[in-house]
Amino acid sequence: MDQNFNMSTLRFEYRITLAYLIIGVLWIIFSDRAINVVIADRELLTTAQTYKGWFYVLVTAVLFYLFLKKHLGHLRRTESELEEHRDKLQELVMEKTKDLDKAVKDLYGKNEVINRQNEELRQALRDLQETQAQLIQSDKMASLGVLTAGVAHEINNPLNYIAGGLSGLRSVMHEGNSKNERTDLFMDSISQGIERISSIVSGLNNFSRNSDNYDEVCNINEIMEHCLAIAGSQLTNSISVVRNYSDKPLTIRGNAGQLHQVFINVLLNAFQSIENKGTITINTSAEHNTALVKISDTGCGIDEDIMSKITDPFFTTKAPGEGTGLGLSITYNIVKKHKGILSFDSEPNTGTIVTIELPV
Amino acid sequence: MKPNVLCVDDEPVNLILFEANLNKKFNIITAHDANAGLEVLAENKDIRVIFSDMKMPGMNGIEFIGNARNISPHGHFYIMTGFDVTDEIQEAIDNKYISMYFKKPLNFMAISSEIERVLDHMEN
Repeated sequence: MDQNFNMSTLRFEYRITLAYLIIGVLWIIFSDRAINVVIADRELLTTAQTYKGWFYVLVTAVLFYLFLKKHLGHLRRTESELEEHRDKLQELVMEKTKDLDKAVKDLYGKNEVINRQNEELRQALRDLQETQAQLIQSDKMASLGVLTAGVAHEINNPLNYIAGGLSGLRSVMHEGNSKNERTDLFMDSISQGIERISSIVSGLNNFSRNSDNYDEVCNINEIMEHCLAIAGSQLTNSISVVRNYSDKPLTIRGNAGQLHQVFINVLLNAFQSIENKGTITINTSAEHNTALVKISDTGCGIDEDIMSKITDPFFTTKAPGEGTGLGLSITYNIVKKHKGILSFDSEPNTGTIVTIELPV
Repeated sequence: MKPNVLCVDDEPVNLILFEANLNKKFNIITAHDANAGLEVLAENKDIRVIFSDMKMPGMNGIEFIGNARNISPHGHFYIMTGFDVTDEIQEAIDNKYISMYFKKPLNFMAISSEIERVLDHMEN
């Protein structure tokens, strides 16, 4: 564009110079000859010469004017056309920019919708998994409930024979004065046996009781003892249990059956985390308006990278078939339902402290 | 004369023990199922204290008490259960159909004092 413009200017310069030269040369050569032919008088010839000069100047001025006008007119037109184009271009660019802005905004909006839908889907998936976990759990507890009810009934009736028999025996011996230190020792041991069996059976009942009542009076230390009695079968001699219970009874309002499940799940995890020798320490205390339960073990601990997943339903580190991955998920949900807090503090190869805070 | 107390249970040993442990203070009448219990009640209108096992063939304890209340509207009824408090038992307590429940193995001292308490209450 620039180069074309230069060439055109150059050509115009040539053209105008050339035209001027030709006209000038021709005029000088031919006009004098023509005047000499037409006019003979010397004085008249001088006057004609003067007029001829003026005429030449006039004609060249007119020609200059015409040439320049034509050329500049062309240039001006081009310039204004260019300007017009530029304006149009600017407008076009602005319009396109506006369109683009709008498209980008739309895209952002759509992106947001997609992100939201994604989050909703993820939430729905979590809910589904949780519901599935709860269904499995309640199914399990229902079967367990039927089983324990049957077992409890079948054990408690013969236990009633023993207790009733013992009670009768006591009064017979008392009346017959045949009571002595040895008979007391035997009868007391029978009585203790009855009490222990009875408390285990009633612990089983508590554990599997299916109730939606969250307003039962729950004695934390008592529930812990039931759980230890039930989970005791998993205890080996190399695991010792240290009980640091609160001095006063620690009671909260909640669902006793579900709290049994919470403690037993945490206790079982603690037992299973200890491979050979170890200690499980249970602390219970009342702090402000909270019942604080800490169960610490000297087991294998929890790796940091799975810490955030341990309460997810179906998450397990056990081999397939050995664990459902529901224990801590159920525990977490039960604690949540009691408006409590479940937290873990763990050091791999050192141990884990599970803290359960329940509002009194 | 010792006051009458009815005990309904399908297990004979339980009936024997109930009688043996409480017969010093009370005259224990036993029945081996709900129907037999209803018959006893119909014949002895003066029985005011009635104990029943929960799980029995045919009619369970709560159902038996439901029928027995028609025969002895002023009776005091107790459930004995080998299991925990079921919804059915809880409902009966809430409706005051039964005064209390006793868990097996039974504590006969507690049962004895409860019978004395309720009999005292009736006399006053």
